[in-house]
Amino acid sequence: MKFYKFSIQSILVALFVVTFMPSCTDLEEEVFSAVTADNFFQTEEELISALGGAYTSLYGYMGTTGPWAAQEVSSDEMVVPTRGPDWGDGGHWVRLHQQEWTSEDPTVNTTWGFLFGGVSATNRLIFQFEELQNPLTDPFIGELKGLRAIYYLWLLDLFGNVPIVTGFADVDPTPPTNTRAEVYNFVESELTTALDAVSDAVDQTTYGRVNRNVILTALTRLYLNAEVYKGSPEWSKAADMASQVINSGSYSLEADYFANFNVDNSGSSEFIWAIPYDAVFAGGNNIVMQTLSYLNQESYSLAAQPWNGWCTVEEFFNSYQDDDLRKGQPGTEEGPSTVRGNFLRGPQWDVSGTKRLVDDGTLASGVDPDGVLFTIRPEINELFPEAWREAGARNSKFEFEIGGQPNMNNDYPLMRYADVLLMRAEALWRMNAGDTEALALVNQIRDRAGVAPFDALTEDNLLAERGREMFAETVRRTDLIRFGKFTDEWWAKAAQDECKEIFPIPKAQTDANPNLVQNPCY
Amino acid sequence: MKKLLTLSGLSFVFVLFLSLSTNAQRTISGTITDGSNNDPLIGANVLVAGTTQGTITDLDGSFSLNVPADAESLEISYAGFTTQRVPLGASNTLNVALSAGELLDEIVVTGYGTSKSREVTSSIVSVKAEDFNKGNVNDVSQLLQGKVGGLVISRPGANPNGDFNIRLRGLSTVGASTEPLVVIDGVLGGNLNSVEPQDIASIEVLKDGSASAIYGTRGASGVILVTTKKGEAGTSRVSYNGQVSFDVVDRVPNVLDAQEYVSFGAAQGTNLGGDIDWFDELTQTGLSHIHNLSLSGGTQQTTYRVSANFRDVQGIAKTTGFDRLNLRANLTQKALNDKLKITANIASSTEDASLGFDEAFRYATIFNPTTPFVRDESDPAFAQWDGYYQQVLFDYFNPVAIIEQNTRENTIKTLAASVRGEYSLTDDLSVAAFYSSQRSNTTFDQYFDKNSFFIGQNSTGQATKRNDEEQDQLFRLEANYNTELSNGIGLKLLGGYEYQDFEFSGFGATGGNFLTDAFRTDNLSAAQDFANGLGSVFSYRNTNRLISFFGRANVNVNDTYFITASLRRDGSSRFGEDNRWGLFPAVSAGVDLVKAAGISGFDQLKLRAGYGVTGNNVGQDQLSLQRFGPTGNFFFNGAFTSSFGPVSNANPDLKWETKTDINVGLDFALNDYKFTGSIEYYTSTTDDGIFLFNVPVPPNLFGQTWFNVGEINNDGIELSLNYVVNETYTASFTASRWFSPTLVSLTDDTRGVSLGGFQDGANLGSPGQNGTPLIRLEEGAPIGQILGLVINEDQPINEDGTWNFLDVDGDGTQDDISDRDIIGNGFPKWNLGFNNNFNFGNLDVNVFFRAVLGHDLVNTFRAFYEAPGQISAYNILDTSADIPNLVDQPQFSSRHVEKGDFLKLDNLTLGYTLGEGNLPSGFSKVRLFVTGQNLITITGYSGVSPEPRLSDDPNGDGSGFGSLAPGIDRRNEYFSARSFTFGANLGF
Repeated sequence: MKFYKFSIQSILVALFVVTFMPSCTDLEEEVFSAVTADNFFQTEEELISALGGAYTSLYGYMGTTGPWAAQEVSSDEMVVPTRGPDWGDGGHWVRLHQQEWTSEDPTVNTTWGFLFGGVSATNRLIFQFEELQNPLTDPFIGELKGLRAIYYLWLLDLFGNVPIVTGFADVDPTPPTNTRAEVYNFVESELTTALDAVSDAVDQTTYGRVNRNVILTALTRLYLNAEVYKGSPEWSKAADMASQVINSGSYSLEADYFANFNVDNSGSSEFIWAIPYDAVFAGGNNIVMQTLSYLNQESYSLAAQPWNGWCTVEEFFNSYQDDDLRKGQPGTEEGPSTVRGNFLRGPQWDVSGTKRLVDDGTLASGVDPDGVLFTIRPEINELFPEAWREAGARNSKFEFEIGGQPNMNNDYPLMRYADVLLMRAEALWRMNAGDTEALALVNQIRDRAGVAPFDALTEDNLLAERGREMFAETVRRTDLIRFGKFTDEWWAKAAQDECKEIFPIPKAQTDANPNLVQNPCY
Repeated sequence: MKKLLTLSGLSFVFVLFLSLSTNAQRTISGTITDGSNNDPLIGANVLVAGTTQGTITDLDGSFSLNVPADAESLEISYAGFTTQRVPLGASNTLNVALSAGELLDEIVVTGYGTSKSREVTSSIVSVKAEDFNKGNVNDVSQLLQGKVGGLVISRPGANPNGDFNIRLRGLSTVGASTEPLVVIDGVLGGNLNSVEPQDIASIEVLKDGSASAIYGTRGASGVILVTTKKGEAGTSRVSYNGQVSFDVVDRVPNVLDAQEYVSFGAAQGTNLGGDIDWFDELTQTGLSHIHNLSLSGGTQQTTYRVSANFRDVQGIAKTTGFDRLNLRANLTQKALNDKLKITANIASSTEDASLGFDEAFRYATIFNPTTPFVRDESDPAFAQWDGYYQQVLFDYFNPVAIIEQNTRENTIKTLAASVRGEYSLTDDLSVAAFYSSQRSNTTFDQYFDKNSFFIGQNSTGQATKRNDEEQDQLFRLEANYNTELSNGIGLKLLGGYEYQDFEFSGFGATGGNFLTDAFRTDNLSAAQDFANGLGSVFSYRNTNRLISFFGRANVNVNDTYFITASLRRDGSSRFGEDNRWGLFPAVSAGVDLVKAAGISGFDQLKLRAGYGVTGNNVGQDQLSLQRFGPTGNFFFNGAFTSSFGPVSNANPDLKWETKTDINVGLDFALNDYKFTGSIEYYTSTTDDGIFLFNVPVPPNLFGQTWFNVGEINNDGIELSLNYVVNETYTASFTASRWFSPTLVSLTDDTRGVSLGGFQDGANLGSPGQNGTPLIRLEEGAPIGQILGLVINEDQPINEDGTWNFLDVDGDGTQDDISDRDIIGNGFPKWNLGFNNNFNFGNLDVNVFFRAVLGHDLVNTFRAFYEAPGQISAYNILDTSADIPNLVDQPQFSSRHVEKGDFLKLDNLTLGYTLGEGNLPSGFSKVRLFVTGQNLITITGYSGVSPEPRLSDDPNGDGSGFGSLAPGIDRRNEYFSARSFTFGANLGF
């Protein structure tokens, strides 16, 4: 019996040792559905995919609560009225337009997250490529530094006082705030350095990426707004940078303004820098969803029901003459609009143009003037809480694709040649109100829009022309600030203190980083 | 899978053979008395051991029972007395004297072992099968609802496919698992749904740290031990239980009917001419039937039990329900002179479920009651929607079309098998090895019809198919040493090693744009979305491992003093490299004051106290690692190219949450054990809570990182009483008080991690109430705080029709975000259960009341649909009539937070057992019963169900605040049901 006992014990011990001892205390974690630095970023293709991290972050630019919202809805060219039960959202859309935002509002935090996410992605890649010293990736380093400087240019514009972080490894986990002037100097120096480090090609190899003209345009914007950013103007530098872009000879005005905004607008001769959105490969441009009414799903056979939100302020709409080609023509009781413009309005029809759209639920949110007939009208009865569901001309600057997806195929221009012309004009005019080149540049833009030339430039007509040309291209807020009108009273918005010209540091960020200093008046 | 299933089938057949045996009968008679005074015991149970075949004693304490010739013993039991098993000899007469106090020798299952009730020094509650909730029970957790102090089990709606939320003693985790660890017959991490309720012999709940610390990093939310029924030597038994249940709608939101809708007041609804009650259209009487057949028996060497269960369950919402077939077999074989005992278990479960669409409930609430028809296929205006009546409004869909045009289904297959070998080296020392394997596979199929307006006006059909597979295997070695030291000291030692690995993998695809509805989910390649680059596909695989060493010592000094100490060392691959192993100690002690201090008047008075450290594992794999993955595409040299980037921030320090708790209890027995009970107090602290924090970017790559930072405190008291009033009536009562869990801190200055005092979350949602957080998580405050504007109760609406909110911050405006205040708390405070058992001869009656008190609920139905201004197109709640002048849109405020207190007649069962003489031939038992569940609810809550909401999952995808946001009654919730069951228990 003793033998028997011994044998059973041996079997158990043997079972234990043989089967399980090797893995007895092994807790190494295995990764199957992701990769780690150990098994990736080695081949040429893998290294190129790493660069993508810096550019894919850009797709968030048009997010419903990202920089697109921060720049547009805070200005006088875009508004998101509370349409009965729709778009109330805790009042943050009303606060954004009335410039009553708080540090907890989603747009403030999302915008910060987008911009610093970009900074962080570029920092990581700069660090990684500098370590790597690979001839394939070395050229990317200068490009990434230029891209980072542009993220900082946006931060300078929107938040002013932000931490400057350029390292990746062993950096301060809670970096302190830098002043707006310090950020200005950093951006100027980084952009200037990048000028000679990036490609000067203007073709497929740089489409959607940072090349020399992108840096020059960024510098133009930096200098044009220098007075706001650091307290003293840099008009001649702005004019000079713009002229370098113009003199590169790489760009020209499209004959048709809307060639820039069509579904297939890739490679427009005006695009200096665009985000190459795509319904399949690169989603993120959802203007069609943001602005159109649910009923307009039938107008364009859209794959999804739009959200009936964003529209333009009536005063801004009225700043266009009726014959301005950029304004377009409204739909009528006879049929849908036949002349496309920045603004969709008037009676709405289905895609065949034969069925007049009717809003069964119109009465659910205030009584609009024509009852159940669905007629988009530029007039907005009130900002909240009972804006008509059909109130406000819709942003149709970017062509709506028949049968389109929520993610649009239209590329979004971040920097456009017409803007550079207008910026040079403004810089020249600031230095000399009677500058003839300035007037000619502005009239070049007006001419394409089919409206009569100006006799002279004034503060008002220059700002208004920039507004008309650059509608929905995220420059209006910056323009209003530069012209000293951003915090003025308009339509449903009271005058605000000038400290509203920059946004508060989001609460989520000050919670996470005690070294951040909140901006004045927040 | 197929192979294993075949194996299971084979063993099933094998065991069936074993069960074939024949019966001859003889009659045993005798008297049962109280050993202390020789009084006859009336109504004592006399059973053939291991069967349900038996009788009860008459007024003289005597009985007469037909028993099979091969029966080996009788089991005599009587409440408050020790159950005796008396061997049958040649004599046909059997007189037995019972002695009181046997309760203390009842065997209680503890972690990795068992213990006598008297020796238990920690907080363990044992619930036996006879005390389970009865009726239409399809989920094991439902068996325990209201039965265990401190354990709250809640499923607000009667969704047959919905899981119950289980919370033990408040909330002891910040960001890890809130559900207790389930151990089924020694297999850790079992799925309660894979066990047939009728196969369960007992469930033990380990409530405090000193009991659950032996489960280490998985013990912090408590442990539920499930022990299934086993065969017994000497008998063979066949039993069948069958029942039919009818579920009817209990409560629905109160909306306007067609007449009220068109005559509401100043504004009326648009009269479309019809009269439809959408709740009627959506619901049905759910007809369910359950069949359970079991065979068991054995010899001294071999015992077995095999059961098969089939259930076909219909919910009260049309198109919801499931079919489930469970098979379970266990076999115990002794060998080597009974020194070796091998136990094998195999269980399989297959389920086909139709999940339906919970979204339909909210659209039934708002759909126009004057709609002319639900569906008219002849009307060309509605042909594009298969004839279902639809209107193009925002967030507005014909609820019947949703459930009829579209399908959402699950198929779940699980297979669990285990084998255990135990060998006694000496009388005192034994060693055991245990291996188990569990595998579960879920296939999800969802199809939206081409004419389904629910997914948009231009629906072209959309199919989703996914498959998720979970598997784990566990290997364990144990050594047990039990001895009686010479001076009356009993010593039990346990040591063990355990290895468990888990794998989760799956794949799925979603695509639309079909030419025909014919394929549904059966031919995804027909979806043009894939050709257009618009379909989506995924696959994944994750693994993790847990490795443990554990030990325990129990000392019993003269049945008077008891000490237990345990220690576990746990390592997990989910922990960061720098924190791979954790140590979890526990110690508890008890003293029977009757014996130690000679306190009189009690049969037992045991004071006990325990201290234990438990953990809660990280909820996801690979959080500690820096990983990269595809992050979209970017434009490179004229083409879109794949982009790779980091997918999260790494935290190599990540580890378990640590819970430390102290439990003090007093167990007592009085009046010859007729009155027993216990009272307990506990306090616990959870440190190193796992929470997703905002972090600065840069230097971080992502804006959020998982850190171990939070601290939560919990404390509470529990009381349970059981009183055998007389032969016919026994009452038991449990009560527990949760003092709201407190979030002590979510700050770690050294790592620069902070919540900044508070964080708001749990968004109310669309339409129009995004950016409306309902819950504030605040340091130093209770968890579960409901945040919102405060309505002026005296005059909720201003003259101009706007909401009249209080100006809380006194700045002159009424509805800015700084006017929000704490307006409730969703955590329940009191949980009460009151059970009454009556026995009138052949008739038995069970009446069970349950109450939950002290919790608030956010009635989101009211927050959205108490809206006079929406009446022209949307139906509204009838309580809108209280605020007819409201011009403003609905806006959440304290008006929509209600007290959830309720008292329920939760379960009423009448049973009739045929007397010995009336049994049809061949039957050993016939019992017929009828059960009503959820019969009467007394509550002030105006919503559908006042049950506490323990967790929030607004999108059904695990997003949001989860268990940190209790108390939100969301709009997609299934209605509650009342259930009536008719059944029979037959023994052969």
